Amino acid sequence: MSKEVSEEGKTHHGKDYVDPPPAPLLDMGELKSWSFYRALIAEFIATLLFLYVTVATVIGHKKQTGPCDGVGLLGIAWAFGGMIFVLVYCTAGISGGHINPAVTFGLFLARKVSLVRALGYMIAQCLGAICGVGFVKAFMKTPYNTLGGGANTVADGYSKGTALGAEIIGTFVLVYTVFSATDPKRSARDSHIPVLAPLPIGFAVFMVHLATIPITGTGINPARSFGAAVIYNNEKAWDDQWIFWVGPFLGALAAAAYHQYILRASAIKALGSFRSNATN
Amino acid sequence: MSKEVSEEGRHGKDYVDPPPAPLLDMAELKLWSFYRAIIAEFIATLLFLYVTVATVIGHKNQTGPCGGVGLLGIAWAFGGMIFVLVYCTAGISGGHINPAVTFGLFLARKVSLPRAVAYMVAQCLGAICGVGLVKAFMMTPYKRLGGGANTVADGYSTGTALGAEIIGTFVLVYTVFSATDPKRSARDSHVPVLAPLPIGFAVFMVHLATIPITGTGINPARSFGAAVIYNNEKAWDDHWIFWVGPFVGALAAAAYHQYILRAAAIKALASFRSNPTN
Repeated sequence: MSKEVSEEGKTHHGKDYVDPPPAPLLDMGELKSWSFYRALIAEFIATLLFLYVTVATVIGHKKQTGPCDGVGLLGIAWAFGGMIFVLVYCTAGISGGHINPAVTFGLFLARKVSLVRALGYMIAQCLGAICGVGFVKAFMKTPYNTLGGGANTVADGYSKGTALGAEIIGTFVLVYTVFSATDPKRSARDSHIPVLAPLPIGFAVFMVHLATIPITGTGINPARSFGAAVIYNNEKAWDDQWIFWVGPFLGALAAAAYHQYILRASAIKALGSFRSNATN
Repeated sequence: MSKEVSEEGRHGKDYVDPPPAPLLDMAELKLWSFYRAIIAEFIATLLFLYVTVATVIGHKNQTGPCGGVGLLGIAWAFGGMIFVLVYCTAGISGGHINPAVTFGLFLARKVSLPRAVAYMVAQCLGAICGVGLVKAFMMTPYKRLGGGANTVADGYSTGTALGAEIIGTFVLVYTVFSATDPKRSARDSHVPVLAPLPIGFAVFMVHLATIPITGTGINPARSFGAAVIYNNEKAWDDHWIFWVGPFVGALAAAAYHQYILRAAAIKALASFRSNPTN
């Protein structure tokens, strides 16, 4: 039960949160703000660090001398999920902490970022990913080249359809968690204290990696897959690359639709076909 | 020492226990929030079963002794996924994702009967769809590697499995009651800071203890979904354990929390004098 706030001049009709207005589609005004470029730099650096730590963990694991000498698939999943938690925590107030073109796409569909900002973020994320994996290659050249370069490919025994489905559902889980964590209604429920909203986002990434690493090495982040494919530059990595863009973007689309039209019931509210509890 | 708030009409407590949910509340059938909650429970349970059973099959499909995520990874998948999904759906449906939790909350009068029944149906359907997705994606290893179904492991008796399920579910539902207690909310200054986290950790802990015995049910929808899709004789033979155990555990947790920790009966009898600020 969210607390009700009665304020003069405001027609909150029993709600103590305000949905922000949709972001303008083309907002050229923000091109003149330093905060826009600071956000781009933050996304670039965050994605660079994300790819460096995670791909270095992958190569380090694969370099193991015995079957149980590396950090294991569990350790790799922790590297991805834990790093997202740390970086989203650091950049949430600066750029919104996307670090993932699929998340940016989902938030764009929900009108939370403008088209200009969305494109800027995606480019910065892809460039950051390339640089991050480039660092790993520079530091570990020989094992990097011999051990698959941390690239995402469809594993033996799985079809492309399975890989696509796994990427769609995995990204749905992630973007759905992002929407829940950033929902103004939830913020009101938490008395507007954004305590550790990044934690469930990091956990969502961790969980999806546990489930999907055997299938594709887990993309659910087109920048991550793109950065590894560019630096590794292997035929199979490029052949399968489309899965790691189509899947995540479809998953983000589904999550945006689910959150906006079912959970927030924006279409049904517009139709007025059900009477919602005014305080819920 | 919880802060004391002196307000008109209150006797030294800064929290209010919500009134018991009506047993039959047909009015809520007309609200969109009711159907939205059911959809949320369905989707959450679907995602829960997909990620967890996919993790189980992926682990069993490993090529060498440490080729998979390990039993620790499987436990993390269950516990972490409950944390994420309870976090996402807490404000929409209460984030049950488990018929045993729904049953426990129903016994504590926190949900009405139509809502409890609808949640359980949605959870079971979501579980079937979630495991169905795993089977669709990993057809061959799914069938070959046990389908993620819960069965009593070799070397353990049916009674042991039942006991493990009862205690495991007691831990989970007791944690849910503690996390959602209005008294605790007052202690936390009414900021529900990461209430889902201890619930997810409770699931994680119980999985660490119980995976060797039954693969860990403590969630009838999870066991039901896997049994339906795997459709194996042994899975169905043992299936009653994964409904009776969790429901008995939820009953015990509800009784413990309501009658001992919150002292509902003793307050009614007034045979002990409670500290009015406690």
